[in-house]
Amino acid sequence: MKKIHHAGILLLLITLLLGAAALSRKNSQPSRFETRFFDSFDTVTTITGYAKSQEEFEEQTRLLQEKLTHYHRLFDIYHTYEGMNNLKSINDAAGKSPVSVDEEIIDLLKLGTEMYRKTNGKVNIAYGSVLSVWHEYRERGTADPANAQTPPEELIEEKSLHTDIAKVLIDEKQKTVFLEDAEMSLDVGSIGKGYAVQRLSEYAKELGMEHLLISVGGNVSAVGKKADNTPWRVGIENPDLESSVPYLGTVEIADQTIVTSGDYQRYYVVNGKRYCHIINPETGMPPEYVPSVSVLTKDSGMADALSTALFNMEISEGLELVESLPDTEALWVMKDGGVRCSSGFEFHEEK
Amino acid sequence: MKKNDVILIAVLLTAALAVFGGMALFSAKSTKDAEAVVYLEGEEQGRYPLDQDASVKIEAASGGYNILEIHGGKADITEASCPDKICVNHRPVNHQGESLVCLPNEVVVEIVNGGEPAMDTSTR
Repeated sequence: MKKIHHAGILLLLITLLLGAAALSRKNSQPSRFETRFFDSFDTVTTITGYAKSQEEFEEQTRLLQEKLTHYHRLFDIYHTYEGMNNLKSINDAAGKSPVSVDEEIIDLLKLGTEMYRKTNGKVNIAYGSVLSVWHEYRERGTADPANAQTPPEELIEEKSLHTDIAKVLIDEKQKTVFLEDAEMSLDVGSIGKGYAVQRLSEYAKELGMEHLLISVGGNVSAVGKKADNTPWRVGIENPDLESSVPYLGTVEIADQTIVTSGDYQRYYVVNGKRYCHIINPETGMPPEYVPSVSVLTKDSGMADALSTALFNMEISEGLELVESLPDTEALWVMKDGGVRCSSGFEFHEEK
Repeated sequence: MKKNDVILIAVLLTAALAVFGGMALFSAKSTKDAEAVVYLEGEEQGRYPLDQDASVKIEAASGGYNILEIHGGKADITEASCPDKICVNHRPVNHQGESLVCLPNEVVVEIVNGGEPAMDTSTR
């Protein structure tokens, strides 16, 4: 009898120990964390992933933050940085001399040229001369809204003469870039952020991260799925800020990217009319086709460029383009608040 | 059964109960009411329950400010010193993980305990 009692107590003990072990394992399993930083591409970057603690997660994502800052500096057209030739260096040497640059700048500019071709010039990285005029008027207009103005037509016309992308000479062997026209300049606002996010996702994979969600100002890229093996859910923001509906719906992504171009985030107002930051290379004016368009695909640089290009065209023309591209889908939010999707876009409408 | 055995069993059972009780209490803690958490340059500045109307002036290190209003169960930045006003233009938030961000002032208002998140991030 005594033996049975002892066996019973032992059993109880073992059960408790196992329970405790299971409990502690549960506690040491990675939980979900988020980190946020502000130092790149004039926007907020949010990274969501899994680690044992916030500290560990920030340790892991610190390298990603450094990498993103590096791209921010490379693609900066307003500042120079010591020990680095960036886009401003190329712009400053326009009409004078080729500039030796990093492989990644060559890569970015090649993507830009390719996207110009694919979109019939609806997104142009050589459009800096016009964009800088708008930039200046927008800055002045936001600082002093009462006296906000749009740039004079003649000025836009004159600047438009210096936007020929064929005059961006990329020498892949020598790793140099030369702008043939002294009056022209590069502006990769439509593509640089997406390119950087794509590179960041690839870098995260190299570092062994399997479940990560990166958002640089709403330019979203997913590495793998969530830790529970379900896809990440991304909300499509409602461009109508007066509406009480914050999101029009969601889309699920895994190892994919979604990028949106819209007129409701960055803009300024002249005589009661809204002028957004995206300028149509064909007209020199902000387009007015749709409030926003989102592109879902594999490569974030391409998604970034394509969403800008689609924002600059009629929905019908954009649809035709999207349907011709592999693994690429798009969603347009129309002026009446309705939504239009390409054939393979799985949109979960908010009800 | 010996007296010692009974004591041992009692002790073990009590210990087990304590652990499970603690667990239950801990998980109950995470289902408390929704709050707006204010971060200034990444540091937590304050927490405001969404079920109590409030108006808070957030003083940024740069000398700028943001006015956070809690009203009708939602958090909203209604006024700010920043030039772009992206935070003011943003609609009120009340869902888990939603945030209001003012880049120039490095102010973030984030919703916590707002219930199951419907989404992981958003695109705009």
